[in-house]
Amino acid sequence: MFNRETWIEIAHTVTANPLRTALTGLSVGLGIFILVVMQGLGFGLQNGVEQDFADEAKNTIWVRTGTTTLAYRGRQPNRYIELRDEDEERVTEQVVETPAVSGRLSMWGSTVQYKNELGNYPLMGVEPDFAELDLIPLEGGRWLHQDDVEKESKVCVIGENVINELFKQRSPIGEYIILRGITFRVVGHFAKNGRWGNSMVYIPMTTMQRLFQGNDAIGSMVLSTGDRDLEGSTAMVDAIDGDLRLRHAVHPEDQRAVRVRDNQEEYAMFDRIFKGIRLFIWVIGGFTLLAGAIGVANIMAIVVKERTVEIGVRKALGATSGSILSLIVIEAVCLTLISGALGLIAGVATLNYAAPYAQHDYFTNPEVNLRVTVTALLVLVLAGALSGLVPALRAVRIRPIEALRYE
Amino acid sequence: MLNLRGIEKAYPLAGGTLPVLKGIDLTIQQGEMVAIMGSSGSGKSTLLNVLGLLDGFDSGGYDLDGVDMSGLSEKQAARYRSQFPGFVFQSFKLIAFKKGGENEALPLFYQKVPRRERQKRAMEMLGKMGMDDRADHLPSELSGGQKQRVAIARALITEPRVILADEPTGALDSSTSHEVMSVLREVNGSGITVIIVTHEADIAAKCDRTIRLHDGVIIEDGRSGEVVEPTANGAGSTD
Repeated sequence: MFNRETWIEIAHTVTANPLRTALTGLSVGLGIFILVVMQGLGFGLQNGVEQDFADEAKNTIWVRTGTTTLAYRGRQPNRYIELRDEDEERVTEQVVETPAVSGRLSMWGSTVQYKNELGNYPLMGVEPDFAELDLIPLEGGRWLHQDDVEKESKVCVIGENVINELFKQRSPIGEYIILRGITFRVVGHFAKNGRWGNSMVYIPMTTMQRLFQGNDAIGSMVLSTGDRDLEGSTAMVDAIDGDLRLRHAVHPEDQRAVRVRDNQEEYAMFDRIFKGIRLFIWVIGGFTLLAGAIGVANIMAIVVKERTVEIGVRKALGATSGSILSLIVIEAVCLTLISGALGLIAGVATLNYAAPYAQHDYFTNPEVNLRVTVTALLVLVLAGALSGLVPALRAVRIRPIEALRYE
Repeated sequence: MLNLRGIEKAYPLAGGTLPVLKGIDLTIQQGEMVAIMGSSGSGKSTLLNVLGLLDGFDSGGYDLDGVDMSGLSEKQAARYRSQFPGFVFQSFKLIAFKKGGENEALPLFYQKVPRRERQKRAMEMLGKMGMDDRADHLPSELSGGQKQRVAIARALITEPRVILADEPTGALDSSTSHEVMSVLREVNGSGITVIIVTHEADIAAKCDRTIRLHDGVIIEDGRSGEVVEPTANGAGSTD
């Protein structure tokens, strides 16, 4: 069946009407191309969000506060709710049990100086558990210790961008830098993805409060949910939210004053969204493939009809039904396989070319799942074989004399 | 060599059947050159198709070299078509996108003859037809006579026992018809049986034997010069 002669026969027939062959191939190739690009876009979106989640541990709860929008218990709206040390202590000692917790107090645009080099970087006061909660990958030196917090030490851990820009690739460990006019010793450095990760300068929370804040405000708070499942973490969120609202007299419906975000729940939500997107892509892709297969079937039906007399001649010259059948089916398979492969290559090339220009916080690496795409290609080839088989069976059932008389 | 006994065939029609062959008894020996004549609808082309296994029959018996051809499977019939007859059609039936040499060699492809051997034999046969300079021409680039020569070469390339020609000169002018008949006469001279369906008396006259059909029945069978001229309703028409 797969000898050289068969391929020459197929080459003859597919090149006998190049426009028709090209248009059929285009419909199939376009189907695969659209599927590949759509998959790439879906994966790009998923990768972007997953990368965003990868910046912090999934089993964390983030507590933020803002200004009240609703009056409650005799208090007017527009009251700023500020988290303080005592909130953190109360939440972790009386409300929930957590294996890790940290306050998170930021000062954006802080001037940092090393010798004659100057730069502006975000400064953040944190506690030792923060490295675990925010997945900070230490590249050298050490992270902040509990001792640094207790002694309000003037030490810091800096990101890769700060090293590149101020230290010009030299090791910063043990060097002194000036943060907002106060000298700090660099004890560690890290490299982290994300929007601000590599530009951050971390110092002990207590140092931040005493030197730059002047009170015991902690900005926001992040806690670990440990090994709790989604139900357990949701219960933890409800407990923290309820306690903070009660303690700070915040209306239960006030969405802005107290915001407790469960990473695990958000991740589950995004996971559901991406499952939906993947399903959507497959449905669209499936219909595109179906359209391509119908196109091939349609063309093969026309081709077989046009070649009825030729089939009669071939039968008169000794062709068996099997040889006619295989010729038509292999022709359909070749057409779908070659044009599908070209569509696949074009789709992958387009994604590769476009990927560097399409990087965004929530969109990165629009990759192609090759296994899925090759499966789709094989499905299309099967569809091509079936679409060739139906008219081919009809053709071989015609008696030679009927085919010869067909005009 | 070819022996038909009581062959009957009818085509199904809405509300009944149309009998085309009504008990044909016929024997043709190896090396004969036979013309089958008859008026339109007499069954002459159907008879040729039955002989060439292009069409089946409803009842009767057909022996080919003593082998019973009734009840052959599609695959067996294809094998016999590939080895035993060579067909020549009125409208040539060349495959439009194949060159002359490729058209000619196509029967060998179905006999699984290697490509190089096919090409060699095709060139030899075209050379015998005086057509070796037309091997690379598409049918659209050939004249009617040239197309029919390619078709005859295609019929001969498998070295068949019999050539079955259905109105082989029907689409040609008289001069080209004469050339084609000369070729068929030469073919017959080499010992190959030639059976020609024709409505032209002068074509039939070039054969050794003429069989006349009327309404599915053989009404005359004899040496070509002895069979009477066709009647007016039988002239100038085909099945």
